[in-house]
Amino acid sequence: MTDLLTTSIFWLSVTLVAFETADVVSRRSGRHPLCHPVLLATPALIALLLATRTAYPVYVNATQALSFLLGPAVVGLAVPVWRQRALIRRQAFPIALALAAGAATAIVSAVGVLWLFGAPRAVLASIAPRAVTTPVAMAMASQLGGAPALAAAIVLFAGVVGAMTATPLFDRMKIRDYRARGFAVGVSAHGIGTARAFQVDSTAGAFAGLGMALNAVATAALLSLLALLI
Amino acid sequence: MIGALALLFVCQLAGEAVLRLAGLPLPGSVIGMLLLFGWLALVEKERPTLEAVSAWLTAHLSIMFVPAAVGLIDQGPALSRYGVGLVVATALSTVLTMAVTALVFRWAARRGEPLQDAGA
Repeated sequence: MTDLLTTSIFWLSVTLVAFETADVVSRRSGRHPLCHPVLLATPALIALLLATRTAYPVYVNATQALSFLLGPAVVGLAVPVWRQRALIRRQAFPIALALAAGAATAIVSAVGVLWLFGAPRAVLASIAPRAVTTPVAMAMASQLGGAPALAAAIVLFAGVVGAMTATPLFDRMKIRDYRARGFAVGVSAHGIGTARAFQVDSTAGAFAGLGMALNAVATAALLSLLALLI
Repeated sequence: MIGALALLFVCQLAGEAVLRLAGLPLPGSVIGMLLLFGWLALVEKERPTLEAVSAWLTAHLSIMFVPAAVGLIDQGPALSRYGVGLVVATALSTVLTMAVTALVFRWAARRGEPLQDAGA
């Protein structure tokens, strides 16, 4: 009976149920960023692993079916960008400039501040891709010698911070252009920021989705360039 | 449906091959994304199934990275030593990046727009 604890069907079932339960809570909260389903499901699953004395590699192995889909999902991000190509062409200048500025700011400020705290290279490598969508951040972190799990947690936290501070920040800065606001949230706070942008305004949402997809490429390119130089 | 999945898989596979050949420290899936973009531009047609499949995958990204996030279970030492730094650096960087990106976007959009208006 206890051998069930090492099977895929057990851990996949548990993961789906935990996520679905967290999703119901998230929906009831009106999709509040602090109630993001991953934020709720992850601690619950960690507690279950500890309670059943399951080693993390066993869990990872059992849930590979889920993680595997990340690759094709990232490839598929090309489709919405392709559909927005007319929009990109019309706004090519601000999009390209804001993307370059945002991608560089995100890497330099995150790594710089954490470096002041004396963190070693493996931890710095985990925060470097903090602005991009989680699957790309995890892949980049492991390419740079960081920890994918740490990268996932950092990215998630960045998304929550971005979603919660965007509106007050832009209001205070008197930036009323929803294209600028949306694009900035997508570049800095990826999917969670994009979801928030869609709640505020559909133009902001479209530009946020664009910012998220383009920054996945920009940050990956910048970081791999850095990795080649170092 | 299978055709759309095959296109996504083959793009990622080609991406993995490219990065091995070129020795780039990029994830294969990101190169795959660029390759798919190139393919869509090369063979231009309506692709309702591909749009549906990729939209479904994107909508369910969150659950796919739960197994990785659970890996925090083994990150106790890093979290207890650098937890404060991680929180401060991530929060500061997120807000600063939003501010810089929005300011640059607005500045560039204002510079670009008078020209467009003159042409319209």
